[in-house]
This record gives sequence, structure tokens and C-alpha cells, in this order.
Amino acid sequence: MIPLSNYLILGAILFCISMAGVFINRKNLIILLMCVELMLLAVNMNFIAFSHYLGDTGGQIFVFFILTVAAAEAAIGLAILVVLFRNRRSINVADLDSLKG
Amino acid sequence: MNFVMPDFMPALPEMFLLGMVCFILLLDLFLSERSRVVTYLLAQSTLLGALLLTVSLYEEGRALTFSDTFVHDPMGSVLKVFIYLATFLVFLYAKDYLRARNMFKGEFYVLGLFGVLGMNVLVSAHSLLTIYLGLELLSLSMYAMVALQRDSVQASEAAMKYFVLGAMASAMLLYGMSMLYGITGSLDLGQINTSTAAMDNNSMLLAFALVFIVIGVAFKLGAVPFHMWLPDVYHGAPTAVTLYLSSAPKLAAFAMMMRLLVDGLGGLQEQWEGMLILLTVLSLAAGNIIAIAQTNLKRMLAYSAISHVGFLLLGVLSGTQAGYAAAMFYAIVYVIMGLGGFGMIVLMSRAGFEADSIEDFKGLNERSPWFALMMLILMFSMAGVPPFLGFWSKLAVIQAALGADLVWLVAVAVVFSVIGAFYYLRVVKVMYFDKADVGAPTVSAGFDLRVVLSANSLAVLGLGLFPGSLLALCVAALA
Amino acid sequence: MTFEQILFYAFAAILVFAAGMVITVRNAVHAALFMVLAFFTSAALWLLLEAEFLAITLVLVYVGAVMVLFLFVVMMLDLNTAPMREGFARYLPVGIVVALLVIAVMAMAVGQRHFGLEQMPVPVPHGADYSNTRELGLLLYTTYVYPFEIAAVILLVAIVAAIALTLRQRGGTKTQNIAEQVAVRRDDRVRLVQMDAEQRK
Repeated sequence: MIPLSNYLILGAILFCISMAGVFINRKNLIILLMCVELMLLAVNMNFIAFSHYLGDTGGQIFVFFILTVAAAEAAIGLAILVVLFRNRRSINVADLDSLKG
Repeated sequence: MNFVMPDFMPALPEMFLLGMVCFILLLDLFLSERSRVVTYLLAQSTLLGALLLTVSLYEEGRALTFSDTFVHDPMGSVLKVFIYLATFLVFLYAKDYLRARNMFKGEFYVLGLFGVLGMNVLVSAHSLLTIYLGLELLSLSMYAMVALQRDSVQASEAAMKYFVLGAMASAMLLYGMSMLYGITGSLDLGQINTSTAAMDNNSMLLAFALVFIVIGVAFKLGAVPFHMWLPDVYHGAPTAVTLYLSSAPKLAAFAMMMRLLVDGLGGLQEQWEGMLILLTVLSLAAGNIIAIAQTNLKRMLAYSAISHVGFLLLGVLSGTQAGYAAAMFYAIVYVIMGLGGFGMIVLMSRAGFEADSIEDFKGLNERSPWFALMMLILMFSMAGVPPFLGFWSKLAVIQAALGADLVWLVAVAVVFSVIGAFYYLRVVKVMYFDKADVGAPTVSAGFDLRVVLSANSLAVLGLGLFPGSLLALCVAALA
Repeated sequence: MTFEQILFYAFAAILVFAAGMVITVRNAVHAALFMVLAFFTSAALWLLLEAEFLAITLVLVYVGAVMVLFLFVVMMLDLNTAPMREGFARYLPVGIVVALLVIAVMAMAVGQRHFGLEQMPVPVPHGADYSNTRELGLLLYTTYVYPFEIAAVILLVAIVAAIALTLRQRGGTKTQNIAEQVAVRRDDRVRLVQMDAEQRK
């Protein structure tokens, strides 16, 4: 018997790892984008676990849409990344310094 | 499984919008560079058509459809009308700017209209699912629009920052939504409201969910300390896109806050009030103080937007009908003023010259006394000087907050708006008392832009003299 | 420990390990491959939660499409990895401390006290004739038809945006124009010339 809390804590750990990833990866935008995907995975874990234990399919439907949107988001994010790389020849976060004030 | 066919009527404007956008998207492929103006005209008529449909549905009253994921109510209708109007003005102001920068393409209008569709979905959302999808439809369109000027380093940087922070904010919001779903067992805002109102012994858990939701909403609104993206994005994006970002999406963000916090979590008002107070004080303080140090007008207006968000939150956190109406009034007024402010930058700019520095407005009075006067009206209104519209919106929010016994918060708001008046007046001083640089160009924008921008500014004055009707509309919409 | 528990802890451990590697490895390609591992183990965990359709979708959509897209971009951009890691050690301790603190707080909120077995007992497993796909399909095309349509629009926006941002015609590249190739006629390629034979000197 696995209690619901196990899944939720797993989700929380995943969420925190990806948050920490955003903080420590100040140098590589691609890994930053992966961290965002990982965050969404943590949320999906939560929704599916709740859906199972509540006996309600709504959570699974929500995950279906998060997966769809995340795929679209990844496409746009990578497109922006490519545009940025063509302009700057770098995807180093520290190089993003043309906007200051 | 019993399924009844949903009533499509309340969603007529959305369906019309979607159909027209797809049509424009296809038609634009077959248009030559010279006849691109057809795309523009079609986009504008789409907005007007959706406006007519929304107005004709206004009397219908509150109705739920699509298995309760869509709500039609007066607040939604009024916000949608102003979203169409604001976007209409954005497209109009942006036309010459885009043409001068080789950005006058179908994508700008298609993405802009998809954004409007997203805002509509968000405004009419009655389920966590539709809130999320509407928000993403809007955000994805905006990320792409910011990056649309492909050869600009600043624009692509701004887009990247916006994207990463926006995606993180969405993830935060989603985490909060997942907790809310787990606690209440439902995605429907009405059911969430009844179940959360019934339980208060479990409040630690609800507070946990609430923190994530408030952080997500604050990110999207641009409230301090979740505002980092806003000045960079406003500054880096092409001014035409900044115009879009700063106008209608503010109304949508307000609607999202109302749907989530009031429709969905109205029973937890005491809990979210405290969080919003913190955001309000920080936004008012940081927005107004950092704006003083800015030399770039777009950045200054971005920080000014942050401080306006503080006022908006002040209205919402009062937790009364009057407070919500005042906040809605404030949001609409801010959008009108913001359109004018960023519109002035578009007006002054030409090919190869952005006119986004405060220096560029030096001695505007000598060059173009009429537009100097228009800018003066807008700046005074944003600063909250009577009798301009901005004064009445601030007054309405302050009255609502006083009604909720938030005297000290009102004092903070007043002090910071007095500090804020300084940087608006600096722009006025630069325009009227500084000498123009030699060879500073005169205003050379198109006729339509001049007329509509003047009307925009005069509306700030005119509505300021008679603020009753707009405020009454907001009160009626929330009654 | 029951078989289910062993599975859960094994997959959970691999998942956390993979996530940790994603954010700490040097090379973006390795990070992407660890992401794939994380998605596979999550899919296995979702199978334990009887979300069969989503588990398969996760593998097909994420591993099959999204991560491949990431890998494409990593390869295409030809990144110089060595200087990108500077300052990593500086942020690492801060990151670890913040993460541990937040995990502790979150675990308190979602722990046994609120979501233990007493509050949320394990539901009875579905029978063998239960089809998760059918269940989701029925809901998607009826109750959730409106969100479904919006999701379609979001995908359209993604297509429009990605093409608008990245498609460009560069001068000097050698590309095929299929339409022109198909429409070509004999006269465009072959010219029959009539000329007199050369006179032998």
C-alpha cells in the first residue's frame, strides 16, 4: 500500500530540484528550459496521483492538456532560443545584458 | 454517460474570432507585400465584429455552458469590450511603426488576435482548466510577438527572459492548481468555492495551495517581487509590441485574479488579503521609487505599470463589491492611459529612431505644442492629478480601501503616489522647459495615428470631467 | 515490502537521480538523455497509478518529440560547453540549501498528516475490462470539448510562432524547389540545335 503522500512528496522533490536547477544553471539556457519541463512533470505527477486517489478523471484530463501545452511551449521556447543564438552567438544567461536601467 | 449539447450562444464572439483568425491566417499567405493592408483591415473588422457580438449578448445575464467550463457574465462582457477596443487602438497605432521596421506582416495580427482569443477564454473561464489554457494561449502569443523582430538583439533577449520567467510562473500556478484540485476534488471554480468555504480547519493546506496561486498571478500581473521580467520586456520589445503587452493583457490578468481569488477562493479572502497587502506595498514602493532613476521612457512606464498594479491590488484586496468595481475601473483607466503613453512613443518614432528616451521629448512644446499638451494630459492623469481620469480611478480605489478599514495601507498608497508624481512631472518639465536639440525632428506620423491618439488623450480629460458613467458601468458589471 | 512498494521506491529513486543529473551535468546532450530517463520512470510510476493512456502519451510525446527537438537544437547550435560552467560552484551551495528548505516545507504540507492512508485510502483497482483510454476519450469529446478546442488553437499558435520566428531564406544556399522541378518541361532542359557539319580542312 503506497499512501498518496509518497507520490506528493516525490512531486515536491522534483519541483524543488527543478527550481534549484533554475537557480544554479545561470549559464545554459537549454538546461533552464529543461528545468521548466521538469517542473511541469512534477505538477503532472501531483495531478495524476490526486486523480487516482480521488477516483476522479478530471486530473488526468488536466494532465493531458498540460502535456499538449508544454509541447507547444517547448516549440516556442526553442524557436526563441534559436533566434537569440543567431543574434548573439551565445546562450549564456550571463550574456543577456543588453537590457539595463 | 449523459451528455447534453452545450449552448453555443454565449461563446459566439470567441467562435467568430477563431473563425476569422484562421481565415486571415490563410488569406495572408496569398497577399502580396503591397496589399498587406488588407490583413490589417480584416483584423480591425474582426475586432469590431466581436465587439458587436459581445455587446449584443450583454443583456443575457449570467450563464454557464460547455459543462460549466465557460461563464458568461456582465463583468466578462465589459472586460471583453475593452479588450477589443484596446487591441483595436494598438493595431491602429502600430501600423506605421511596423511598416517602417519591415515588421508589417500577417503574423503580428494573427498572433495579436490569437492573444485576444486567449484573453477572452481567460475572462470567461469558470474552471481551473480553462484559466490555464486561456492564460497559455495569451502568453504563447505574447512570447512570440516580443521576438517577432528577429534581427534585434534586445527583442530576442527580452523574449527569452519573458519566456523563461513566464513558463516558471505558469508552473507555479499549476502546482497551486494541482493542490487545489487535490483538496477539493474538483476543477470547477464554483465547486471549489463551496468546498473551500466549508472547510477552515484544514487551512494550512489551503494556504499552501494559495501561496503558489498568488505567486503565479503576481508574476503575470507584474507585482513586486515577481516583476523582474516586466521592465526588460517592455524595454526590449518593439514599441508596437510593448503597446500590446501593456494594454489588454492587464485586463485579462485582472480577470484571472478575479476568477481565481474571488469566484474560486472567495471563502479564503482573509488568507489572500494578507498576501496581496504585501504585494501591494512592495509594488507601490519599488515601482514608484525605481521609476525615478530611469532615463528610458519605456522602462519608466514599465515601472509606472508596476506601481499601478499596486493600486489595482489595493482595490481587489478590499474584498468588497465596491473594491472589485474600483479595481476594474482602475484597470480600464490604466489601459486607456497606458495606450496613450506608449502611443506617444510610437508617434514620435520613425524608421531607425525609437524615441524611447526621455531626452527625445526635450522641447517637444516648441516642435509640436499640440502633442506636448496631449502628453501633459497623459502624464498628469497617470500621476493622479485632478480632474484627469487617473485621479478618479485612484480615488475610487482609495475609497474602497477606506471602506474596508485599511487606513494605513491607503496612507502608504498616497505617499508613494506623491513620490511617483515626481517622475511624471519630470517628463512634463523636459517637454516644456528644456531646449530641443538642434535638428530634433518634428512629429511626422500618419493622419489616423494623430487623430486617434489625440482622441485617446482627450478621452482621458473628457472622461475625467465626467467619470460617473464609466465607474457606474463597472459597478453594474459586478453587481 | 510488497511488490508495488518495491517498484515505487525503485522508480522514484531513479527519477530523483535523473532529475538531479539533469541540473548538474556538464553537457546539454547528457542532460537531455537524463530527461528521457526521468520521463520513462515517470511513465512507469503513472502506470502504477492506473493512468495508462497518459503514461504512453508521455513516452510518445515527450521522449519521442519534445526531447528529440531539444537534442536537435543542442546539436544545431554547436555550443561551446567549457566556459558555460563557470560560476556553477558559486550558486550550487545556495541552490542546495534553498531546495532542501523548500522540500522540507512542502513535505510538511503534503505529508502523512493530510494525505496519509487514513485520509485517502488506496482505491480499489479497476477490473480487467476497464479502459483508461476509452474513459478519457469519452470525457475529452463531451465534457471537455471546449478546452480541447482551445488546446488545438494553442498548437496552431505554436506552429505559427515557430515558423514566423525561425523560417528564413538565406541567399546562397542550395535548396531544391520541388514545384519548379515537377513543373519542368522538356523544352526547358533540352535544346535541339540544327547546325551544319564542320568542314574538314
